[in-house]
Amino acid sequence: MGEILSIEGLRCEHGGDIVLEVSSLGVEEGEVLAVIGPNGSGKSTLLRVIDLLERPARGDINYWDGFRLSKLGRRGRLELARQMAMVFQEPTLFRRSVWANVAYGLRARGIRGGERERRVREALGLLGIEGLARRYAPSLSGGEAQKVALARALAVRPRLLLLDEPFASLDHPTRQVMRGEIAGLLRRLGTTCIYVTHDHLEALEMADRLAVLIGGGVHQVGTPVEVFSRPASREVADFVGAENLLEAVVGRSIKGVAEVKVGGVVLEIAGEHPEGSRLLLMIHPEEVTLFREKAAAAGSSARNLLPGSVEDITLMGALYRVRLDCGFPLTSYVTRGSGEAMELHKGLRLFCSFKASAVHVIPRTR
Amino acid sequence: MGEIWEGFKQAVSLIVHLDPYVMRVTIFTLYVCGLATVIGMFIGIPLGSWLAFARFPGRRALIVLVNAGMALPPVVVGLFVYIFLRRNGPLGFLRWLYTPKAVILAEVVLATPLIAGIVLSALQDADPRLRWQALSLGASRPRMYATLLAENRATLLAAVIAGFGGVISEVGAAMMVGGNLMLSGRPYTRTLTTATVQATGQGEPVTAIALGIILLSITLILIAAMTAVQQKGRSPGGFMAAVYRKSRSARG
Repeated sequence: MGEILSIEGLRCEHGGDIVLEVSSLGVEEGEVLAVIGPNGSGKSTLLRVIDLLERPARGDINYWDGFRLSKLGRRGRLELARQMAMVFQEPTLFRRSVWANVAYGLRARGIRGGERERRVREALGLLGIEGLARRYAPSLSGGEAQKVALARALAVRPRLLLLDEPFASLDHPTRQVMRGEIAGLLRRLGTTCIYVTHDHLEALEMADRLAVLIGGGVHQVGTPVEVFSRPASREVADFVGAENLLEAVVGRSIKGVAEVKVGGVVLEIAGEHPEGSRLLLMIHPEEVTLFREKAAAAGSSARNLLPGSVEDITLMGALYRVRLDCGFPLTSYVTRGSGEAMELHKGLRLFCSFKASAVHVIPRTR
Repeated sequence: MGEIWEGFKQAVSLIVHLDPYVMRVTIFTLYVCGLATVIGMFIGIPLGSWLAFARFPGRRALIVLVNAGMALPPVVVGLFVYIFLRRNGPLGFLRWLYTPKAVILAEVVLATPLIAGIVLSALQDADPRLRWQALSLGASRPRMYATLLAENRATLLAAVIAGFGGVISEVGAAMMVGGNLMLSGRPYTRTLTTATVQATGQGEPVTAIALGIILLSITLILIAAMTAVQQKGRSPGGFMAAVYRKSRSARG
């Protein structure tokens, strides 16, 4: 599986402002690449540029089969555009029947007669909406309309499918169901897809890889696990909802373990760092273990054992989110079972521990 | 007052009894204006579509020209067409002056900017996502324009009605290049408006009123049709239906 698309030094401007600046980004054949980022980070612009709907101020895109953005003539543009299909946040259906909507792309490609009918039927079947074929598109509900929009895009069997927050306009339960269905469908079809969303949890479910776009620039590209456990910048960490971001000053480093000071507390972290340098640390809340007695923690190999007190407890489904004061604020996730066994309550004094390797160092500048 | 009422009664009687002169002028007018509108559509719709999205130097100037064309005084159009068609004019060799062709040409010149201008603004106001969606599904430029126009069919219809309404009600251009002529007892270049002017001038108020009533009826029918198209889906019922659809879509 090679790359079917690679972006080189792309820059887009709207009215003189740079809205997108991507030095490089590749899409592998058959993968679902989620582009995530806050609103206004340039995600939709990126999709439109790839889909040839908007021209970049500079830069180039290498597509499959030797197509190159900067070398496209009028004909090449149309030919390449016909190998892609995009679904927008709003379904944007034409005021025609559902059947005519799904047939639109096929008509544009001059596919007619039995072949067209077969492909429309097939696309409606993929989304399980054969029953809607005769309906007038504007009369559909939001969920139905978005399924028609997806069927319309899939009917042309795109080499690259572009989805721009396709579920954002749907209500919560519909979104949940659609998300699961579409994730399954994309895996089954093996369609290469760029999926834009501002919802990082949605991206986790849909994507093979994530690209985090913030303020028009790509901050990080990686698997969901990489991005969530080792954010490449403070902005990424904030965007994916990371807790326990701590400012630290480095002390001594010995044999791959560094001592750092957070507030007045000394912690040990993996890796060696120049003495006196400042670091941004992230400690995953699920890796912070709580003990009522110091003795209970004795068997643990964790380097860091700190006394603290419970500030606040919130139930989040199967987990308790426990905010602690250990000389600096620290959050821990404990299962409901162990939380109840420990009889957690506000003001409780206890010990928390985490391994040196549970501390992730976020590069301060990118 | 009684004179006017009497004239009105006789005029209605002319219409009801399908007076041959009144009928022939009406039919000729519908033919000339209908044909001019159709030709105006064939030029104005592509022109408006092209101007809506094409990028080329001088585009803005052309748009100004089209917009100005929407408010062209018919007499000025008549004057220009006359200058072009007269014997020494650039198009004098056609020998069209004082023929139905000259009238149709003048009406096309009047109708085309009206149609092009409305198409242009409708396409520019169209949801850009619709344009993107059509292109993204592989539509060529002409297909994309056609799709946008189909989505705005009410506006398109309004453009055509406006074009037809504009040419059927004008008198200046038709008079100047047509000459209000009859040939072997049939209208040659005589339209409802020019005939009304003449009948009034010759002291035949009854005929003039009959022609005026017909002209007014045609205009009223056009305006009613336009209003119906425009207000479609905006009636209170339509509004509530839209709200209902919205709430339904929110629930999925």
